[in-house]
Amino acid sequence: MSELTVGRTRPKARKIVRRDGSHALAHTVLIIGSIIMIFPFAWQIIMSLSTNSQVMSIPPTFWPGDLQWKNFADVFTVMPFMSQFWVSITITVVRVLGQVVLCSMAGYAFARMRFSFKGVVLGLILAILMVPSQVFLIPQYQIVQNLGWLNTSAGIIAPGIFSAFGTFMMRQFFLGLPLELEEAARLDGCNPFQTFWRIMLPLAKPGLSALAIITVLWSWNDLLWPLVVTTYAQNMPLSAGLATLQGQNATNYPVLMAASLLASAPVLILFLAMQRRVIDGIAFSGMK
Amino acid sequence: MSLNTVAKAGAPGRAPAGRRASRLGRSNPDGIWPVVFVLPLFLGVAVFYLFPIIQTAYFSFTTWGVFGGSTFTGLENYSKLATDPQVGRALLNTLIYTVVVLAGVPIAVGLASLVNRPGLRFSKTYRTMFFLPYVAMPVAISMVWRMIYNGDFGVLNYFLSLFGILGPHWVSTDGLALISVALLGLWISIGFNMIILSAGLKGIPVELYEAASIDGASRFRQFRQITVPLLTPSIFFVMVITIINGFQLFDLLYTLLGTTNPAMARSQSLVYLFYNESFIQNDKGYGAAIAILVLVLVGIFTAVQFRFQRRWVNYV
Amino acid sequence: MRLKKLSLGVVAAVTAVLLAGCGGSPAEQKAAGPAPTDLKANITYGYWDANQTPAMDKLIADFNAKYPNIKVTSQVTPWAQYWTKLQTQASSNTLPDVFWMNGPNFQLYASNGQLAPITPLVDSKQVDPANYPDALNKLYSLDGKQYGVPKDFDTIALWYNKKIFAEAGVAVPTNDWTTAEFKTAAKTISDKLKSKGIYGVATNLVGGQEGYYDSILQAGGNVISADGKTSGYDDPKSIKGLQLWADLIADGSSPNMQQMSDTPANKWFDNGKAAMIWTGTWMVSEVNASPVKNDVTVVPLPKDERAATVIHGIGNVVSAKTPNMQAAQAFQAFLGTKEAALAQATMGAANPAFNGTQQAFVDSVPSFNIQVFEDAATKYAFPFPVSKNTAAWNQLEATLLPDAFSGKKPVGDVAKDLATQMNALLAKEK
Repeated sequence: MSELTVGRTRPKARKIVRRDGSHALAHTVLIIGSIIMIFPFAWQIIMSLSTNSQVMSIPPTFWPGDLQWKNFADVFTVMPFMSQFWVSITITVVRVLGQVVLCSMAGYAFARMRFSFKGVVLGLILAILMVPSQVFLIPQYQIVQNLGWLNTSAGIIAPGIFSAFGTFMMRQFFLGLPLELEEAARLDGCNPFQTFWRIMLPLAKPGLSALAIITVLWSWNDLLWPLVVTTYAQNMPLSAGLATLQGQNATNYPVLMAASLLASAPVLILFLAMQRRVIDGIAFSGMK
Repeated sequence: MSLNTVAKAGAPGRAPAGRRASRLGRSNPDGIWPVVFVLPLFLGVAVFYLFPIIQTAYFSFTTWGVFGGSTFTGLENYSKLATDPQVGRALLNTLIYTVVVLAGVPIAVGLASLVNRPGLRFSKTYRTMFFLPYVAMPVAISMVWRMIYNGDFGVLNYFLSLFGILGPHWVSTDGLALISVALLGLWISIGFNMIILSAGLKGIPVELYEAASIDGASRFRQFRQITVPLLTPSIFFVMVITIINGFQLFDLLYTLLGTTNPAMARSQSLVYLFYNESFIQNDKGYGAAIAILVLVLVGIFTAVQFRFQRRWVNYV
Repeated sequence: MRLKKLSLGVVAAVTAVLLAGCGGSPAEQKAAGPAPTDLKANITYGYWDANQTPAMDKLIADFNAKYPNIKVTSQVTPWAQYWTKLQTQASSNTLPDVFWMNGPNFQLYASNGQLAPITPLVDSKQVDPANYPDALNKLYSLDGKQYGVPKDFDTIALWYNKKIFAEAGVAVPTNDWTTAEFKTAAKTISDKLKSKGIYGVATNLVGGQEGYYDSILQAGGNVISADGKTSGYDDPKSIKGLQLWADLIADGSSPNMQQMSDTPANKWFDNGKAAMIWTGTWMVSEVNASPVKNDVTVVPLPKDERAATVIHGIGNVVSAKTPNMQAAQAFQAFLGTKEAALAQATMGAANPAFNGTQQAFVDSVPSFNIQVFEDAATKYAFPFPVSKNTAAWNQLEATLLPDAFSGKKPVGDVAKDLATQMNALLAKEK
């Protein structure tokens, strides 16, 4: 990597002009990309406002004409939406908190501490990502059964708190932070925990929020495990509840689409709120 | 912070001399702390994940009954694995899928840096739009994409017909079906990659760009010589995860193609093969052997990536 | 001497007491009469079709009128995950107390001791197999014992769209159509109306229930031998039955395999893009909600060497390991009563299996001539082809047959290959 010229004195500060033509190019690329991303959702919204035979029609009906808002009301009669919503919230909050705590600690240790067998332990943890996830289905079911947690939120949450992915991600992130601060802290006499808590953790906010967002999404959409562990509809999270709307031979597609829009809405709102606060936030104030 | 420090970013992270010695001696200079930090996670992982993997490894050497009970059969499952043509094809399909989705990494790097440009208007909006696929419920996504890909009445072919092109049956033609699934995987992954890379981009000090601008470097040159090199830890992470997830291909195949699709037979992935053998053919011992094969393959790929990271990943 | 006799007597008495104690354990089968109406229990009822939930809820309510202290909770799992979850539960002894079973999966569970036989219910006259079509009883029996109480059944018939026939100027199907007449009509309609995107016939060819199982039987062949040990695919008559569909696709009478994979056969029919379809009882509500509902009616399937349709239906089974055997079997018996059957028919949930209760279902859409399905069940229905691990060779059918139907490989070669591989799988079954 070529190094930037170092040590040259800065000329008198000059206001850097940002509005140049290359922004136009950026906008073009981004707009085209956005359309490709958005289109399926637009169609999903259209389908949620159509009738079932319009959804099933060939060629497809792009505009239903008569907007069927009642599909959204029907969602609440065909599934216990609110209790499933609370289950989703519970399992997601606990899983996110659990992962943020456990993965940031472990990730920091792998990044910055030295201990025997570090590589081996990291390898073992990463190994769990490399096996088909259905491998865990029956064994975890039996473990949860033995703990008496079948059909409870605890049973849904338990395996998901321990994330190899999160650990790996935090390790990478901590590796990307400068060593100097840590050394300064050690010279000041901080033990590793104090270094972690007071200095590294605040710096890791972008990484932590990325981890949080990804975990929220994964947990919110997690389907197979909650479906297998729970028996009653009101103990299921929204993702599993949605799947149950699909009949063997016939499905009420507009209501399914409406339900999935309603189910995605909380996470979308959360992302919008968090995005403003954290990813846009000031990450490197500690550097100055 | 002087530019000198950042310019050192070519050497992997190494703790300088002078670390506080601990009572536990040289092998554990940090004392009991690593244990405190790592043990809770490791215990959970061991109970819920490592133990089942060991179980699976054991069962790969047995014939496992449908509802329990097993008889030891040694290497029988593995010799079947070595001669089964389905395994070779599934491996090839999995590799093809992974390669296509890997293309999402450079795309996401480019898009993330475009979106994170200082002074770009609507950047939050763009970021939201690119992230949407990742937010949506999978069941809705696969339904909509099936309709987009529909050979006779789908949007994609309708669009192509405006240019006079007769579109194929994207999802039910051998060979093409896998590519269609891969494109969907790519579409979904871009948002995810952009989040990680955005966090990484935030970690690059703005002063570097300012200094470079003052020195007269073009935007593209800044991208090539500041952004990309300093982003390498995040890029490395995204690559490793993409490859690991690529090998896990199952859900998209199951929902987009469907088990009743004529193209499914030749588009199976390794994990789909595992699911088929374990839950449909009820040969869980053979399925376990396939699972171990996946573990070994992905483990090798990941280890290779880790080994090579010193060459191109810059940790400060 | 006398001491010995006394001891023998004591031993005998003690043994009798012990045996009596064993007979009283709740997991044992009791041939005693119906469960007492004040029996208290909590049981779960597992099924997969959310569309039938209103009907199932009504059945539970009606059951509670008789047994107010047995709480029944529904456990609905979507079809796509139902069998995976069931296997997980079976492996951990947490199966629902009562649950839906289907033909292809039945023997797997029965032969592995997961289901409770209904013998006690039959002996105490709570369930009478004579009330259901014989083919269904056989479907849910293994080694002479019946395990499932038939809930509903489907047979296959020929649906057609009068409007399209009129447009093409072709005579509508009769009750005595032959396969040859069927083929000719399909081709004529396709030739005339292809430009409008309308085909003569569209039928789902993945899974044989709607199409090729029936045509194989009509041609005089079979899919699997009566004892479930040999494949029938290499029989020349079975090959003739398969050839029908290959011909229909080859001459353009039917959309090809890829088209029907992208867009299922029933969608072509529902939207007036196919003049005919071979499909079953379950389509009644869907067609009745579709744009073509006023143009459609039903006749028996065309005859080849004979008239034939497969019959299949869901059965209610009880888990062999349930701790609530009495309550579970009481519920199972109730689900098999005439009362339960009538409730299902009236609510349009399904075509009930109990003989003579289908009238409400037949009357639900008079223009569809639903009586055809009922007559098929009694007059020319054949049992659904199953074995101990049906899913395994169903997978083979799905993998190999598309090449035959699409014309990529000769039907005879594919069928013989399928037979060979299927026999290998059947040999593996214990």
